[in-house]
Amino acid sequence: MTASLNYQDMIRTLEGYWAERGCVLMQPYHTEVGAGTLNPATFLRCLGAKPWRTAYVEPSIRPSDGRYGENPFRFQQFWQYQVIIKPAPEDVLDEYWQSLEAIGIDLTRHDMRLVEDDWEAPIIGAWGLGWEVWLDGTEVTQWTYFQQLATLDVELVPAEITYGLDRLAMAVQGKRTAFELEWAPGVTWGEVFRENERQWSVYNYEEAPVETLLRRFDEYESECQQLLDKRLPLAAYDQVLKLSHAFNLLEARGAIGVTERAARIARIRNLARRVAQVYLELEAEDVAEPAA
Amino acid sequence: MPSLLLEIGCEELPASACYEAEAQLPALCLEHFGREPDELFIGPRRLAVLVRDLPARTEPVWVKGPPEAVRDRAAVGFARRHGVDPHQLEVRDGFLGIELPGQDLRDALPERLDAIVDGLAFSRTMRWDDSGLRFPRPVRWVLAKLDAETVRGDHSFGHRFTQGRIEIPSAEEYVETLRAASVEPDAAARRAQIVDTLPEGWSDPNGVLDEVVHLVESPIVLVGRFDERFLELPRRVIEAPMQKDQRYFPLGGPGFAVVVNGGDPDVVLAGHQRVLENRLEDAAFTFERDLRVGIDELANRLRAITFFAGAGTYADKAERLVRLVERLGGGEATLEAARLAKADQASELVREFPELEGHIGAEYARLAGYPEAVCAAIDEQYLPDAGGGPLPTTEAGRVLSAADKIDNLTTAFGLGQRPSGSRDPYALRRAAIGLCRLATEGGLAIPRGLLDDEVREFVEERYEGLLELPIEFLRAARASSVAELGQVAELARALAALDDPTLDRLHTAYSRADRLAGKSEGEAGAAVDPGLLLETTEVELARAVEGVGAEVQGALERGDPRTALERATALGAPVDRFFDDVLVMAEDAAVRANRLRLLLDVRDTLRLVGDFAQLQR
Repeated sequence: MTASLNYQDMIRTLEGYWAERGCVLMQPYHTEVGAGTLNPATFLRCLGAKPWRTAYVEPSIRPSDGRYGENPFRFQQFWQYQVIIKPAPEDVLDEYWQSLEAIGIDLTRHDMRLVEDDWEAPIIGAWGLGWEVWLDGTEVTQWTYFQQLATLDVELVPAEITYGLDRLAMAVQGKRTAFELEWAPGVTWGEVFRENERQWSVYNYEEAPVETLLRRFDEYESECQQLLDKRLPLAAYDQVLKLSHAFNLLEARGAIGVTERAARIARIRNLARRVAQVYLELEAEDVAEPAA
Repeated sequence: MPSLLLEIGCEELPASACYEAEAQLPALCLEHFGREPDELFIGPRRLAVLVRDLPARTEPVWVKGPPEAVRDRAAVGFARRHGVDPHQLEVRDGFLGIELPGQDLRDALPERLDAIVDGLAFSRTMRWDDSGLRFPRPVRWVLAKLDAETVRGDHSFGHRFTQGRIEIPSAEEYVETLRAASVEPDAAARRAQIVDTLPEGWSDPNGVLDEVVHLVESPIVLVGRFDERFLELPRRVIEAPMQKDQRYFPLGGPGFAVVVNGGDPDVVLAGHQRVLENRLEDAAFTFERDLRVGIDELANRLRAITFFAGAGTYADKAERLVRLVERLGGGEATLEAARLAKADQASELVREFPELEGHIGAEYARLAGYPEAVCAAIDEQYLPDAGGGPLPTTEAGRVLSAADKIDNLTTAFGLGQRPSGSRDPYALRRAAIGLCRLATEGGLAIPRGLLDDEVREFVEERYEGLLELPIEFLRAARASSVAELGQVAELARALAALDDPTLDRLHTAYSRADRLAGKSEGEAGAAVDPGLLLETTEVELARAVEGVGAEVQGALERGDPRTALERATALGAPVDRFFDDVLVMAEDAAVRANRLRLLLDVRDTLRLVGDFAQLQR
């Protein structure tokens, strides 16, 4: 391998690669999401029968994965590169392999494997079948053919390609820890984000206000319902995201028991389903996305 | 006669789907080609069959129609459906029907190839386009060759990254063509390659080999080492990520073997080594965090973890375990182990690797300085973890294991979660079998009184499958008054060992006494009155019942069902003589009441060692 790409160049290369293949380049969403899947550019756009291709970076927030910046492999915020190809063409895997070549991975020199991984996200009533993509044993991508979203069967089966940028960069750069990754010339991942991990871990585990979050949970839920009654599914969906993040924080604070956990997940899932239904109703009336 | 090759090309299938296809393809070929395949090629990217010597024409097929008796009403419709005249229908075995002539193989093939692809049934399938086909992963090509002729598709693919599209010259050249394209299509050959090249001393504690065979098309075994500082971790903490996350094979010490699918060995091995060290680093990090919390504090945290909705927290469960252990006669070490048994449910490591439960709790207890007996019991509490798996090796382990299983059963049954049919999500059958084996093989005294009626029935029913005895002996023994679970089995064995004349005699004595006196229980006296015993045989029987009854009771109280049964058999002869000589239904009401009481005493004494009515005589 020649001089390997740094983190930001790897992202820029992926952006270029997928833009050339007809993807609409989106940006990270402005509200916390646990995965790029929750960004409306995936969750909502994968509903219905309209073709859609998109690619974007998503800083994904998972409060319970924080390790105060002490563990070089677990973070409460990690970086995904999310690609959606809807419907998935026959050669969609080849498009993916070529994207790895584009960032400097010689597929014949590495041990590339597709290892069964059935994905599900109960909080949004979604599941699909696919793989973890292994590069010499490291999971660098989560690959899923969506089957259901918001408990509804998808009309066109999309391929969701979620690159784990931190791990991919470690493989590309041959670095042992994420902290050592070169983010930009002369600047490491650790310099940019390690302190961020420490502070947010303190917040997630120790400072996030449980009572307030519980109250907000109810508020987000009722606001979501009101917005659905007004048939504003895009605005209502943001409340689903806020609910999901509040739930994740409450979990990190250890404030949710097992039974209650299932009940709260069901409350969020029901709203996600209603959002999807109203979104599809409006799309059928062709007013949901006048620009589409 | 020609050879047929059918290859279904897929994106990488899960190993479980490969095994499902492997099990079904022979029967599907038999159904649609009239013969089982000569070769079966199963792997992640292709499912293929090779069928040799196919007849040039397919066999005629008999299509069975309606019964001849309804010819008037049904013949016309049936004939029309099959495109023939009603008068062409034949009769076989009382049914109308039509023999469809055999077809030329080439004409029949398309439909039959489809039937095989569509006929595979998988437990988990998906769709990927609008074809309507469902499969575990997308089907990307189908190739069928009849000798050198291509009858479906037109090419295959070699190794995913080093080879592209390939031509298969003929059905018989399939294997060699693929091997030249870096694919070993034969699962057995891949397995042999892997097993033969794994270095001496490899192990597979979690059983990942079956999956690994279907994770590669071109297996190469590489041997790596991880940094020795990780050897300070308990063996299981090293093996869990190695096997569960990475599907590597431990080699002992800092060695591991990985089966790869290609690449430059130096580059590939460096990557696998790095990822394993990262995983171990992560496990070590988690392990140390748990250790800093310590097993006692982990046990305190159980208060926040629900055991089973409706059955409280793990802390509640730990309290129940302590009480059960007391009632099972467990000593100090076992009580301590019960208190700490579930502490590791609060650990981060168990959250990540649930299969470490018990083992890691034992490790944390050991590092906190608890006595070895306590740690061993925590370690062994889930044994036996398979129907025929090993039992705990220590007494404390057996007691704790029994307590845990009793609590699981009692809790689940109490919440209406009894297993039904094949649905047994909490593995209660396995728990019940474990309990039975702890009582018999483990020699553990488990009072039957510890089990609620419903649970006791369920547990004791497991002996029916566990002991190689006619069920009747078990049913008889289960109705006895033995005090402990293991004694049910012991008594059933003793019953089965009795000779037939003895069994006959007990059965007769019991049933006659029950038949005669059982329905007149209201008429019977409260107790046998010696003054009303008139006949000699009557006096003799009364004396026998009194003596035998006391002996049987005594033997049962000593926990000796064999002797109890043996003593009970002594009632056979006096009962026989009684029935020969004495008229039970005497004219005098007081005498009659006394004799009925005597017979009831006979029945109840026998019943202490079993319900003899269960025996089929």
